[in-house]
Amino acid sequence: MSASQIPNLNTLRRGGGRGRLRGRGGGHTGENDQDAQFRRGGSNPKDRVVQGTDNDASVSRLSAVNLGYLEDPFASALTPPGQETRRLPIINRGTYVRTTTIDHLLTHFFLPGAQTDTQTSATPSRKKQIISLGAGSDTRIFRLLTSHPSLHHHHHHHNNNLIYHELDFPTNTAAKVRAIRGSPLLQRALGITAADPKSVTISPAADALHTPHYHLHPIDLRRLAALATSASEVDLETILPGLDRSLPTVLVSECCLMYLESEEARRVVDFFTGVFSPKSSTVLQSQAQDGDTGLGGITEGAGNAEERGSSAPAPLGLILYEPIRPDDAFGRTMVANLATRGIQLQTLHRYASLAAQRERLREHGFATGQEAADVDFLWERWVPEAEKERVAGLEMLDEMEEWRLLARHYCVAWGWREGEDTRGKVFEGWRGLEGQRE
Amino acid sequence: MSDLDRAIAQLRACRLIPESQVRELCYKARELLIEEGNVVCVDAPVTICGDIHGQFHDLMELFRVGGDVPDTNYLFMGDFVDRGFYSLESFLLLLCLKVRYPDRITLIRGNHESRQITTVYGFYDECIRKYGSANVWRYCCEVFDYLALGALVLGASSGLEPTGPALETTSSTMSLDDSELETEVLNSRGEVTMSTYRPKQPRTTSPLLPSLSQAQPATSSSANPTSSSMPPMRSGWAGTGATSDSSGSYSTGTGAVLCVHGGLSPLIDSVDKIRLIDRKQEVPHEGAMCDLLWSDPDEIDGWGLSPRGAGFLFGGDIVKHFNYKNDLSLIARAHQLVMEGYKEMFDGGIVTVWSAPNYCYRCGNVASILELGEDASNGGTVSRSNGDYNRSNGGAAAAAAVVRSPGRRYRVFEAAAQDTRGMPAKKPVADYFLTQHPYNTHNTPPPTASHRKPMHFCLGPSLA
Repeated sequence: MSASQIPNLNTLRRGGGRGRLRGRGGGHTGENDQDAQFRRGGSNPKDRVVQGTDNDASVSRLSAVNLGYLEDPFASALTPPGQETRRLPIINRGTYVRTTTIDHLLTHFFLPGAQTDTQTSATPSRKKQIISLGAGSDTRIFRLLTSHPSLHHHHHHHNNNLIYHELDFPTNTAAKVRAIRGSPLLQRALGITAADPKSVTISPAADALHTPHYHLHPIDLRRLAALATSASEVDLETILPGLDRSLPTVLVSECCLMYLESEEARRVVDFFTGVFSPKSSTVLQSQAQDGDTGLGGITEGAGNAEERGSSAPAPLGLILYEPIRPDDAFGRTMVANLATRGIQLQTLHRYASLAAQRERLREHGFATGQEAADVDFLWERWVPEAEKERVAGLEMLDEMEEWRLLARHYCVAWGWREGEDTRGKVFEGWRGLEGQRE
Repeated sequence: MSDLDRAIAQLRACRLIPESQVRELCYKARELLIEEGNVVCVDAPVTICGDIHGQFHDLMELFRVGGDVPDTNYLFMGDFVDRGFYSLESFLLLLCLKVRYPDRITLIRGNHESRQITTVYGFYDECIRKYGSANVWRYCCEVFDYLALGALVLGASSGLEPTGPALETTSSTMSLDDSELETEVLNSRGEVTMSTYRPKQPRTTSPLLPSLSQAQPATSSSANPTSSSMPPMRSGWAGTGATSDSSGSYSTGTGAVLCVHGGLSPLIDSVDKIRLIDRKQEVPHEGAMCDLLWSDPDEIDGWGLSPRGAGFLFGGDIVKHFNYKNDLSLIARAHQLVMEGYKEMFDGGIVTVWSAPNYCYRCGNVASILELGEDASNGGTVSRSNGDYNRSNGGAAAAAAVVRSPGRRYRVFEAAAQDTRGMPAKKPVADYFLTQHPYNTHNTPPPTASHRKPMHFCLGPSLA
């Protein structure tokens, strides 16, 4: 602890004062605006509570950024003004581990050779896709585009390698559209320029936004759950325009699917595994099998590899970030506390352990690999020693036991299937990442 | 009724006292504390408590379980403030009790009794929120600077008076004549949930006796059949006890118990060194004073770096050596959350006592307090000069070999059920996801769903 870490008392004072105003002023205009937003979202009160959780995430992120845990120039642009507050050190560390872990997984998806010498090519030569479920005010797309310029069309117009989709309630996507409209910084990151009107399309309701690389979809995931059985033939352009079912893709659920009823959560994932296993490829597959059994040569002669690849089941991965272990003293308290706030984590008991999360991934058909690790493990094993020292030096952690307790109750799980792609393995970079065995 | 008694009554009802009264209280408290040494001497019987952290209703539960002041003699090992929603009510009540009953309550300093830490962990914000300025925070911080750094409990008995019938016991099969009750654990209803016994110790022993009797195990166990059911370490004691049984004389005295918030320091090898610290200052970032408030015992050898960023980790060898050198039978400390409320380590050489149940309203842990009984064998007199524990360097080795740990009674308790205790319906927000936000604290209306600010890294981008 050094003198430079003595907190700025004025900042804290402002924080306290705001809190008091907010707490006492039932008719505070800010709150009314927020309520109006929720009404416009047209969803039930339970949904509103869940929508509200996004705000917490953005405030937590900004706290971690302001204190130096994370570098994220976009955090303040995507946090509602006046919400800035300092989180407790364990919360900041948790935000740090969660964010860097998922960043790490995505980096190894895009750049399989990243940080390892086993692969010679560290350039993303293939187009790849990310679908972020319940993305809310997440800043990842902006960070990805600016930290890996080769993913970005500005630098290589012909090398448009990243397609990024965010799905969320219309209330949340509309807020994000507003934020982008109000921030030249965010626009620049997305490659939106006034000179090129085609660089962005915004829906009449101002809740959908499309650029060549970024698609913001206002949609209730439960709609997709209802389409799960017909996913392979659904007309994507009407529900998720811009989604390319032929691309290697990673689905990300950061505290999202857990809010759904567990059968619905399962069907949302089924929808995407179905979308990326197009009917046509199934047909082609069976033809290929027929060929093997007698009609030889059909596959070889079926045109170029590009066409073949575009209709085979695409390589698909899933990253989950969720609480676990609801059945010990800490977990029971967590469940009870959330219940008093009207929040039910509906999948928590079904996927209560790391093993259950791995089994979940297997059942969804992510057959090539399934791994999971809790945040305590990820901090200990994934964060390099020097970085650990840097982060630990940012703030004094007053209670280590509490940190471990908290960190053991969150996990990241990741699973993948390579598909039948002929152009090499997509998820090679995930093979070397250490999961937790328990 | 004096102003002080009125203030106590008001604070007990979880209502704050006016700022002018806080100022006066803090001034009086400082006058009192300045007279105390860095290491306060406390006579058993005493009830030792760990972290409170502003969990006022749980502090009330603690008093219900452990008895009220001044009926019970209390020693609080710091961390009165931060984290919980009622740091002010908790600390000011303890301070009032200290001023009202200075000989019945001892307060020592925790790492959270610091300007720097309270600005990060909530107490500063709470003062601003509840008093509208930083004045009260400043008064309290000045008191923090005068709090003692440790305490020595003297005259604790080695055996406990049994509380009553046990729910279930893990006691040995020794006959009551040969054994004494060493530890007892009670739940919040006062029911015994665990107890352990050990053989009695003769009044006069030579350090050589245990090893002599261990050299003749056959004789020992035939002379005392109960010893066969005891661990090998203790068979020697049993044999020793049998040998001198004819004298009919048992000592119930123990070595002193050092109480400190965090633990030991590589810069401190004797209790006297603690006495040399100039304590009247903000907790430094390093050095002996910092270590006493920040260090943790750990399953290591020697010293290690603390993951907290202040203080050190220290192993069992360090504890054994320190206790031996200082004629201590036990170190009692707080500072670390333990789910079971207390945790003994290193063959009972150190214990962590944690007194904040369901810490931060989200950890789901139970809390405990530790009662040490009075050794009545000397007619209740303790051989010591006032303010200074009487140790002889020459006799240290011999004495240390026979120093017994005190009998220890842990009263375990759970978080207060606020709704049933007539408290205002301002239940602290579930802190797991919502923490330092002020909605449910002082004079604020109950929150609506949209007011509530969850605070957690879990709740991420929301459901789409």
